[in-house]
Amino acid sequence: MTSGAFVRALAMPALLTVALALTRLAHPTFGAFDIQSLALGALPLALAAAAQAIVVISGGIDLSIGSQIAIANVLSASLMQHADFRQSLMISVLVLAAGAGLGLVNGVVVALSRIPDVVATLTTGFIFGGGALLILERPGGGAPAAYLNLAAGQDFGPWLPNGLIVMILGVAAVWAPIRLTRIGLLIYAAGSDPIAAFRSGVDVRAARTIAYLFSGIACAIGGMALTMTTGIGAPLAGAYYTLSSVAAIVIGGVSLTGGRGGMVGPVVAALLLTLAPMDLVFLGIDPNYGQVIQGALIVLVVMAAGFYAYWRERK
Amino acid sequence: MKSCYLSGAASAVVLLAMAGSAAAADKYVVGVSNTLIGNGWREEMICSIKAEAEASGLVSKVIVANRNGGPSEQIADIRNLISAGANAIIINPSDREALNPVIKQAAERGIVVVAVDQAVTAPEAYVLTNDQVDYAKIGAKWLFDKIGGKGSVIEMRGIDGVPADADRHQGFTEVAKMYPDIKVTTVFSGWALNKTAQVTKDLLASGKEIDGVWTSGIDSTVIDAYKTAGKKYAPVVGADNNGFIGQLINMKGDGVSGAAVSNPPAVGGAGLGLALDVLQKKEHPHVVKITPTIWDNDKEMDKLKAAYNPKLDPFYSVAINVPPYTHYTLDQIIACKGP
Repeated sequence: MTSGAFVRALAMPALLTVALALTRLAHPTFGAFDIQSLALGALPLALAAAAQAIVVISGGIDLSIGSQIAIANVLSASLMQHADFRQSLMISVLVLAAGAGLGLVNGVVVALSRIPDVVATLTTGFIFGGGALLILERPGGGAPAAYLNLAAGQDFGPWLPNGLIVMILGVAAVWAPIRLTRIGLLIYAAGSDPIAAFRSGVDVRAARTIAYLFSGIACAIGGMALTMTTGIGAPLAGAYYTLSSVAAIVIGGVSLTGGRGGMVGPVVAALLLTLAPMDLVFLGIDPNYGQVIQGALIVLVVMAAGFYAYWRERK
Repeated sequence: MKSCYLSGAASAVVLLAMAGSAAAADKYVVGVSNTLIGNGWREEMICSIKAEAEASGLVSKVIVANRNGGPSEQIADIRNLISAGANAIIINPSDREALNPVIKQAAERGIVVVAVDQAVTAPEAYVLTNDQVDYAKIGAKWLFDKIGGKGSVIEMRGIDGVPADADRHQGFTEVAKMYPDIKVTTVFSGWALNKTAQVTKDLLASGKEIDGVWTSGIDSTVIDAYKTAGKKYAPVVGADNNGFIGQLINMKGDGVSGAAVSNPPAVGGAGLGLALDVLQKKEHPHVVKITPTIWDNDKEMDKLKAAYNPKLDPFYSVAINVPPYTHYTLDQIIACKGP
């Protein structure tokens, strides 16, 4: 690992540690209850960020993430409403497959039509969003208590909420197959320089389709996480995750031009983006400033990354 | 030297703690959770909570958790308000069921939770809402009768998938079934001014025959669009928004006809009034429903004129009080400042 990569990998966790320490200072009763709040709040966003990161690293961008999450959310909540725990787990597999299918649709549309990703996924996003409303017209559905407990429970003590474990396992489940196999190399190559990758024998269109497929699986996990933390399916609840996922990956050091970035950054950024509104409530500040802070954070991080790159080139 | 610092710090902490407990003994901290921002009605709702907190003299601080979001974000906000030490939490719920576990957690800590505007099913919560089904029913009935029971009507809904919109659509549909000669076209306004203007403009430009428009509360924009297009006004049903009521009064001579259905955002302040009563051990029923009223500019012009207030924001509802729960003045809600 080069020193630059090392600094980048540690920067985000360090930032989170500082933010948590400051929070504790401002709100001395910050404790296990709040760690649980943080985990529950950040869980769907972390998976949305993971989904977005994979696509952006491969050189695309996915504006249908919120709708994909909504579909997984309403599909799981409507099917699990009268199911027991074991059936719910089987339904989860079905939802994962459906998520992979939606991702594949995105990938194929982008690869075959050559419409820019922004336009293609914006369009599929509308279609998926409508699909979510067709599955569940208004908020409802449900899931067995044991299933909800998977993310909302505290089986490993109050300081290690299940939500945090689901977050880590869920992200790892989509990231490990990419990072540990040749798929990762193909996706990074396709995103970093598609022409060079093509000339080196990489099937760029296939690589990017696979990226969308894994992104779809991450969205499915995120949607089911939403079912676990809220106990219902809500056809519109996914909408907030599309742009938040872009914010998380930018803060998390994924380059929007593709080919650069990892998974630790976006996930930690999701935690930071969840912690910021918490702090505002603790301090009693109007949370409308939360938007301002989120924007300022993005600008600062992007500027810091720019200065760092500049400084390294000068050296 | 070091110990000197420490003891200094310790005494400061003790002093702070004493100040904290002294304040907590006679004043309450109030939390507010709202998940739709940039909407005049919701702004007025929050202002009414701040005004009631100010007027009651019982509240030391109002903490507002206010952002766009769904149940997931709202659960997080309510948890943060619990952690911030709220004694009462006023919520405009984004869902009927999803908040129940966190409401239960709050109740277990002795926190009074009041859901306003839309209902929750948690038995621990107090619920104070406008009757949304009835809101749509009386407006639709007025409109259908006004155009003689037959013709083509626009149903301009709010946001698809939101509880209040679903309730209103149910009320509207029930009434429409009793008028077989009414043809309904449904569109969505998103409860947003820009989208309403666009939708209305498109409808008017389409050349479609429109005999009446029912809106889910974004009303003055529709009249404005008619005026801009230079079309003959069709009867419009709206809410008791100040700007719309002004149009019903001042543009009657130009042919504007319509009715305003009450939907007071002051349910927010009323929810706090109820919560403060409960905190002081006064008994209240768990469910309070406010029945809407309707004023049209044919027969109830006097009521419209009495309600209209040029000092108030055009997108604010004129119903600034919900007796007997609210105690603030008009100036206090306009100032929108809590303790």
